Amino acid sequence: MALLRLEKVTKRFGGLVAVNEVDLHIEAGESIGIVGPNGSGKTTLYNVISGVYTPEEGRVFFEEQEITFLPPYRRAHLGLGRTFQISRPFGSATVRENVAVGALFGTLHGRIGVDEALKLADRYIELVGLSELKDKVAGSLTPVEKKLMEVARALAMRPKLLLMDEAMAGMHPKDIDRLVGLLKEIKEEEKIAMVAMVEHIMRAVVGFAERVVVMHFGRKLVDAPTAEALKDPKVVEVYLGCPLEEK
Amino acid sequence: MIWNQLAGNLTQGLILGGVYGMATMGLSLIFGVLRVVNVGHGAFVMVGAFVAFWLFTALGLTPIAAIPAALVVGMALGFLFFYSVMRRLVGAPELTSLLATFAMGIILEEVVKLIFGTEYRGYNWDVGRVDLSVTVLPWAKIYAFLGSVAIAVLLYLWFNKTRAGTAVRSVVEDSEGARVCGVNVGWIYALSFAIGIGLTVASGVLLTMFIPVGINPYMGGPYTLKAFVIAVLGGLASPYGAFFGGLIFGLIENGSYTLFALLPGAEPFALTRFLSFAILLLILLLKPTGLLGAKE
Amino acid sequence: MKGSKYLPIIPVYIGYLVLFLIARGMPGMWQLMAMLVFYCAVGQAFNIFFGMTGYVNFGYVAFLALGVYGMALAIHYFHQFSWLGLGIVIIGLLLAMVMAGLLSLVVGAVALRLGGAYFAIATIGVNEGFRYLIEGAKIWGGSEGIIFSKQMTEAFGREMANRLSTLWADISVLLIAAVAALITLYFIKGKIGYALMALREDEGAAKVMGINVTKYKLIAFVTSALLAGLIGAMAWGLKLTYVFPPEVFDISYTVEAIVIVMLGGAGTLLGPVVGGLLYGLAKYWLTVILPGFQLLIFAPIIIVIVVAFPEGVVGVLKRRVKGTALEPFIL
Repeated sequence: MALLRLEKVTKRFGGLVAVNEVDLHIEAGESIGIVGPNGSGKTTLYNVISGVYTPEEGRVFFEEQEITFLPPYRRAHLGLGRTFQISRPFGSATVRENVAVGALFGTLHGRIGVDEALKLADRYIELVGLSELKDKVAGSLTPVEKKLMEVARALAMRPKLLLMDEAMAGMHPKDIDRLVGLLKEIKEEEKIAMVAMVEHIMRAVVGFAERVVVMHFGRKLVDAPTAEALKDPKVVEVYLGCPLEEK
Repeated sequence: MIWNQLAGNLTQGLILGGVYGMATMGLSLIFGVLRVVNVGHGAFVMVGAFVAFWLFTALGLTPIAAIPAALVVGMALGFLFFYSVMRRLVGAPELTSLLATFAMGIILEEVVKLIFGTEYRGYNWDVGRVDLSVTVLPWAKIYAFLGSVAIAVLLYLWFNKTRAGTAVRSVVEDSEGARVCGVNVGWIYALSFAIGIGLTVASGVLLTMFIPVGINPYMGGPYTLKAFVIAVLGGLASPYGAFFGGLIFGLIENGSYTLFALLPGAEPFALTRFLSFAILLLILLLKPTGLLGAKE
Repeated sequence: MKGSKYLPIIPVYIGYLVLFLIARGMPGMWQLMAMLVFYCAVGQAFNIFFGMTGYVNFGYVAFLALGVYGMALAIHYFHQFSWLGLGIVIIGLLLAMVMAGLLSLVVGAVALRLGGAYFAIATIGVNEGFRYLIEGAKIWGGSEGIIFSKQMTEAFGREMANRLSTLWADISVLLIAAVAALITLYFIKGKIGYALMALREDEGAAKVMGINVTKYKLIAFVTSALLAGLIGAMAWGLKLTYVFPPEVFDISYTVEAIVIVMLGGAGTLLGPVVGGLLYGLAKYWLTVILPGFQLLIFAPIIIVIVVAFPEGVVGVLKRRVKGTALEPFIL
């Protein structure tokens, strides 16, 4: 049983087809990278998966349960976590409180109290390396710190599938490597959390993803193990360049 | 017999609806461009009513002359409020602009109260009537309707044929894109707000051509509610939707009045006000983007 | 450690205690203290929804009004059964809660699913709509309202009726304010607090984090309405012994609630108390020296607060006491 399955999903905005008949499947424990030029439909795809948009055509399944029309908060309870392309912290609350929200309303909702949630939050804050900042007001963090906090917040939801949208954008290569390492660690430890990303940054994709999905003008161009996908002539053409050198 | 009366009332309702619709166009324009709900709407209508009243009683000017005067007064007020308050609220949470416009409305009411007192004012502008078999229509009301239509048409032309109007439309579509194209977005916001307020104040004049009595500082309340019902009916961001929403609303209001009057022991006037509220809730429940709704 | 959660309630209760002692101790102060407590109570009830969700309910006074009607109707219909004694008051309170609660459920269920602007629009009509329903359908006394002072005397006996109106009505408002404070504290510190904070900050992100925003908005909305109903039943109903639609549906009470909460600090525990005291005193003072000008003065104040000073007095206070010994007490 696939953890997440998309069946011919199509999302239109007026005349514009942002996502065009996309089939996708993600198994538990996989790490996937979703890449593509700007406007290829990656973020829209994410929004359809997390429930912000409803597709005009097609269906979405989570653990073989249809969730196409399920509201976002219910998907979170089922185990879908997500971070945003442009950070959306709860600005006037502390880092600790932000992450606690994830703990309180994620897959543990209804079974976890405020004190436990705060403890859980502390654990994940430490994991991403923000322990010193945990009582700082989230709005005062740097963009990179905000992104890390969002990762912690999404992880605190104890998700089965973690969608990360451009989590690495604007990061120093050293930080990217560190985060990739962190995510791999988490994937191993938590076992359940499966991490998918939407990245422009090849360094992150290559370091992290076992399989790569390449989007182009709303369609899925290629869906293959990383090395293969990046050498695929269609992909090379789309990115207007020569094949990627291994770093 | 009852059908005649109903037909008569509906005709009156349609004519009044045109004025209501025009009154709501300002509201929809302001929301469409600035995403601000002018909660003080009724107070601006009231200002227009007083403009008409004062020009008529103090200077003997017909309400028709009061229309452009009210437009000017309204735009002046709009610019004043925009530059003193609203401009600082761009990007603030919705709540803030709601409260600001709410407070502005109250300030207007209190200032007018200071100047004119709380008694009910009125004036009498009799230019004869027209007898259609089902009802008798004073020419004043017909002028009001024609005035509303004229203003709606002018607005349409302005939006589509002038540079400024096109700039406004571009800002509604995509303010960042417009900015990049060289549109002075800040000025467009100010202009749109001012025009929206101008329209609202002018509608107060037209309204008095219909109901030349009961003019007092607190008369605005019911009009705010009506305007919101109409705006939601027609699609909150669409000025044209507002106009047609107004027509529909006028029909419903008058038609229901006749029907309520048939109920023994009921007070039809108050019940039509309740009906507005019920309709509002109903639309929000079923189709919040409005019957003629444009996509939000 | 567990107990420290309740520290912030201490300043609030001290404040209320002081008000009570002044009222009892100093002759002639009772009415003023009663008014101040009324404003604090209204502020706290209003704050539970407005302060915590960031949504404005322009029709707030309708819940106070329904509260009065609940009490009025209970006394009107049950006064012959004087064996019920004070049970009639209980019925009145229950009825007040039921009526305010029902209206809030109806309006909330329809309007809270939509965003802030639509919600505001929906609530603009609540006052008007409900008032005209009563007047138009001529129910509950129609546009003439209900006067029930005589019926109170019949139900409770002259002395008791008098004491209810003059003493117990005001004390009840104080008790309601105290309860409202406790509820506010629970809403801020508990799970609900996190949900409300999140949806207030960023409703879209909150949804994706697993928060059923409509449910939480509704909880806050109904709670705020129920408290308002209780306040109306006591402060207007029992105390004034009559209800008259144009008075009880007067939008200026909503304006006052907004000023009180914003001045004091929206979303804080202490805010409405501070706001209520400041506003009440200012209004009292203004009524003495400049009657009829209150709205003209307070409306621009709303604008100034909204533009320049949105966190209110307690908001600023919270920032100042960060890191000091006072911090756990100011919420």
